[in-house]
Amino acid sequence: MVIKVVLADDHPLTREGFKSYLEGKEDIKLVGEASDGESAWEVIKEQLPDVALIDIRMPGIDGVSLVRRVRQEGLNVACLMLTSYDAQQYVLASLRAGAKGYILKTASPEELLRAIEIVASQGVYLDKEVALAVEEPGFSPEQLSPREREVLLLAGRGESSKEIASKLFISERTVQTHLASIYDKLGARNKTEALLLALKYGVVTLEELLE
Amino acid sequence: MRRHLLLILTLLVLIPSLAILIVTGWGVVEHERAMKKIAESYVLDLAQSVAARVDRPRFMHRAQMMTSSRALDSFVLDVSLPGWVALVDESGNLLAASSRAQDVLPQIWQGGIPVGRTTLVEGPFGDTYTIAAIPTSQGWYVISAVSWSQLLGPMVRFSHLWPAAVGLLAIVGMCAVWAFWRWLIMPLLSLESEVSALKWGKDLPKPDDPPAVWELRRLRKVLYQLAQTAREREELRQRYVSDLVRVQEEERTKLAREIHDGPLQDVTALLQRILLLKQESWNERAEKYIEIAKESAVAAVRELRALCDTLSPPWLDLGLAQALTELTDRLARTYGVKIYLESSELPEVSKDIILAFFRITQEAINNAVKHGCAKNIWVKASYDGEFVVLQIEDDGSGFEFEGDVEALRVKGHRGIANMVERMRMIKGKIDVQSSSLEKGTTITCKVSFPFTGEETP
Repeated sequence: MVIKVVLADDHPLTREGFKSYLEGKEDIKLVGEASDGESAWEVIKEQLPDVALIDIRMPGIDGVSLVRRVRQEGLNVACLMLTSYDAQQYVLASLRAGAKGYILKTASPEELLRAIEIVASQGVYLDKEVALAVEEPGFSPEQLSPREREVLLLAGRGESSKEIASKLFISERTVQTHLASIYDKLGARNKTEALLLALKYGVVTLEELLE
Repeated sequence: MRRHLLLILTLLVLIPSLAILIVTGWGVVEHERAMKKIAESYVLDLAQSVAARVDRPRFMHRAQMMTSSRALDSFVLDVSLPGWVALVDESGNLLAASSRAQDVLPQIWQGGIPVGRTTLVEGPFGDTYTIAAIPTSQGWYVISAVSWSQLLGPMVRFSHLWPAAVGLLAIVGMCAVWAFWRWLIMPLLSLESEVSALKWGKDLPKPDDPPAVWELRRLRKVLYQLAQTAREREELRQRYVSDLVRVQEEERTKLAREIHDGPLQDVTALLQRILLLKQESWNERAEKYIEIAKESAVAAVRELRALCDTLSPPWLDLGLAQALTELTDRLARTYGVKIYLESSELPEVSKDIILAFFRITQEAINNAVKHGCAKNIWVKASYDGEFVVLQIEDDGSGFEFEGDVEALRVKGHRGIANMVERMRMIKGKIDVQSSSLEKGTTITCKVSFPFTGEETP
């Protein structure tokens, strides 16, 4: 099965570069490209690709808003962010908006192809440079308890410890304890990282995280 | 002496004036008493001397010879002294009298008079008289009297006039002291205290003080104008500082954007080509060069991205909570310290507030780690429906801070001054609590949201 791809990036040289990455691949077909948010939306709507490669920073509509629109319109398009920003908050914002993956523009052609394949098959792809600070080969996270999972999901939706505490009828201190245990199990250093790692390891799913 | 000149001057006038008033009052009373005594002894002497003469046998002999009682007048009249003398028998009939005494005396003694001592009597015309009656051996009485107005008149008048004049002078002196105090010294003291407590460039003195003398009012006006000028200059300076910060921030944002859209994309494109080249088959040397080129390009991309983040992070666009999360995550990683961020239910605040809070948090954490060697930092952002509050607390060594930001700026510590400036620009308030004894620093920023147009109290 051929994966239909749309590429939205406002920089002509990098766009050309990505086109070259995809060229000659039998299972991937570039069906459209755009240099700004508005035309990207038009192309996506028209082509209904399997995967849309979207730059966060574009003239007109920015990438995150475009992803949100795709999801709101109920289009069956897996959005993969393709950007220069390495901030974890961008990853989180993109995922909350409905993106299925996040890859830096510095990624190698092989990584890009792998990312496209993963998101096309309903998986989640997160660039190792932003989502895996302490990646060790063969590291597999310890199982989270149901309570810990709950806490992590609420934190992932942007709720503060206080809000989580009142929602789960536990003390703020208990929330902190749960979070510390979650960080420990996933090898994360903060809330964002814990969430990204949990997504990466499939501890939580993207659907559970959505706004 | 010079320190209390005004007080001394006042007392120099006030004390003599008061003293004169008291002394003259006392003098008048004493004088009155002396006059009374003189009049008494005079009247008594007069009556006694006439009585002695009447008692002499020669007089008795002569009196018996004279049938007309009026003939005795010459004997009694034989006194060439001021005052009146009369001789009466036991039943009160006038036997002899000096001239005019017969007209006056009966009217005076109407009420009867005690014998042997002097009495003060009010005469029919408002005059005061000292009167005395001395009995003679025949059973008659010698009555003598003096009118105060006649005997002592000029003396009394003059002795009353003098103290009155002096007393008036003293009262005028005291009035002058009052005026001096009310219109000169009090306004001067209030002006002095007002000006010495004035925060130059911020406060204004009262523009006018109506009770003050003209020169002081003028001086006050000049000071008012000076303070106004200082305030305007301070405002200009602050606007200048604000402009500096704003322009710097704009420049940084612009530069970051240009780096992101230009060099960063170009190097990324370059890296892509190197990665594409890498896919071809090369000899060993070429492969080595390509690998080095790739490493360099990756390094360049990272450096350019870091530069963008240093100048003006693009992720500020994501919102306050996200910006603070990214910042604290990064700083915790960079410095190897624990930063606890608590941000709850924050509204979508303006870009200005995000920028100000971001820069303040950045500066505060940098200071806490670099100067205070803090190991734990607590950042808290909250919203109570009226104010967005940011609090940064650390467990570092703290520093001596007495609230004078300008003093810190003069010493070269611009950090706190910059924070104050940032808050001033968004019309918020900042409070810095630190002490090298208590350990740690707490910085609290507060800004009203939505912006009401008024400065945060």
